[in-house]
Amino acid sequence: MIEFQHVFKSYGRGRNILADVNFRIEPGEFIFVSGPSGAGKSTLLKLVGALEPASRGAVTVNGHRIDRLSSRTLPYLRRTVGLILQDAHLLFDRNAFDNVLLPLAVQGLEPSMAATRARAAIEKVGLRGKEGLLPIELSGGEQQRLAIARAIVGRPAILIADEPTANLDHDSATHIMDVFRDFNQVGVTTLIASHDTALMARYAQRTLHIDAGRFSDLAGVPA
Amino acid sequence: MKRWLRHHRYALRVALRRLRLHPLSSLANIVVISLMLAVPILGAAVLQSSQPLARQLAVAPELTLFLSPDTTAAQQQDLLTRLRDQAGDQIAAARLLPRAQAMAQLRSDPTWARALDALGENPLPDALIVTLKDSDAPARQAQALADAWAKWPGVDHVQLDSEWVRRLESLLSFVRVGLGLLGIAVIVVVLATVFNTVRLQALTQREEIAVARLVGATESFVRRPFLYLGALTGLAASLLALLLAWLAMAPLNTLLGRFARSYGIDWTLHLPATPDLLLSGLLIILLGAIAARLSVTRHTRF
Repeated sequence: MIEFQHVFKSYGRGRNILADVNFRIEPGEFIFVSGPSGAGKSTLLKLVGALEPASRGAVTVNGHRIDRLSSRTLPYLRRTVGLILQDAHLLFDRNAFDNVLLPLAVQGLEPSMAATRARAAIEKVGLRGKEGLLPIELSGGEQQRLAIARAIVGRPAILIADEPTANLDHDSATHIMDVFRDFNQVGVTTLIASHDTALMARYAQRTLHIDAGRFSDLAGVPA
Repeated sequence: MKRWLRHHRYALRVALRRLRLHPLSSLANIVVISLMLAVPILGAAVLQSSQPLARQLAVAPELTLFLSPDTTAAQQQDLLTRLRDQAGDQIAAARLLPRAQAMAQLRSDPTWARALDALGENPLPDALIVTLKDSDAPARQAQALADAWAKWPGVDHVQLDSEWVRRLESLLSFVRVGLGLLGIAVIVVVLATVFNTVRLQALTQREEIAVARLVGATESFVRRPFLYLGALTGLAASLLALLLAWLAMAPLNTLLGRFARSYGIDWTLHLPATPDLLLSGLLIILLGAIAARLSVTRHTRF
């Protein structure tokens, strides 16, 4: 469950990126966040992923008020959230396999089990056979898929993706969206920021629309 | 427990990988620390190798109490008895050397005989010869007794035959203090070098740290590889320092041995005792880890 109650977000003394945002997402929902560039979509996702604190208001994820979590417990919440940001944030000195393995190393998973799960995640995003390549040897789309593999390998309860198909061709985008849908169908709450109206029309169960920090819940209506 | 071990194994692997990724700078840091470490190891070798020598030389320090010319035989016997009564536990032997006997001994040396003939009468005083028992600080003990006995009536002068042992002990004390100061310098060098290395590593690994946090790494997870990096640097530097000291031992022994033999002394340098070496190695490893901890806490706040 994800809940925003009167959430405001601003940087420094600047204008509010998000202003009085309220919504609730139940477990297992498949949500699109839409809105023009600079509307605050990425900021909203970062608040859900506990990457940034809200300036005001309460953000609750999986039953935990993020602002009430200590810096010691926050990492454990992050492990339940798979994050795919616009910048893939890959480790460019490690091969694809090691990049996907990182969340499992963080969790201290048994190495052979971790390897099996990493291979499965890589296969799931269509990068089988490219495990040994460095990210620099992958195309932009493949790098994005690698970031998705890293996000799903830890079997998160919530999957958050910021424009995950922006660098992908139509077929790859469809493949990736199918991956998200598969995870959603086994109960993973999925939250995707996107401009792609065609994808939204095809996959969205519910769309949250943001424009200039203002928020509207277009329940069940693709933007 | 298994998870904890796996985290440590991962951290160790990451630390080794980071060392391997920057071999030249890693090696440079290790060489700087090891050169700094090799000096006190050699100093400690000199100190530990000298101690048995000082003890051996001070086995029987002798004191000669020259008596006033007007002391009678009875007073001389009283002084001898007083010596045994008051310092019997510190004295191995004490005897009276009458001036006539001393003269005879001196005369038995042909180089002195002719010179003594030129003197009309025996210029030597009666003397008490005291040999002390062995102790941990023979020179200090002998000096204290000499100072006390010099004040006794009937005693003109006390000659301490272990003066040069005292000088050697003073020299060893000087070396000991010098080693202490050098030890402090080593601590500062280890802390500064590892601190700076980890600072640079933390800046280089900024992206990796950010990604690790993104996927739920705790601060301990982020810091652990850096602690291993510091400890591994300390370990490698300790081993290299030991090797350097060992290599330096052969030429130093040749030179010092030649020098010592010219004084009729058999003296060879050897590395400090294994427990001492292990302890100092552990200390350096710990210092490396502490420096890394201080640095990583400071430089991964972003």
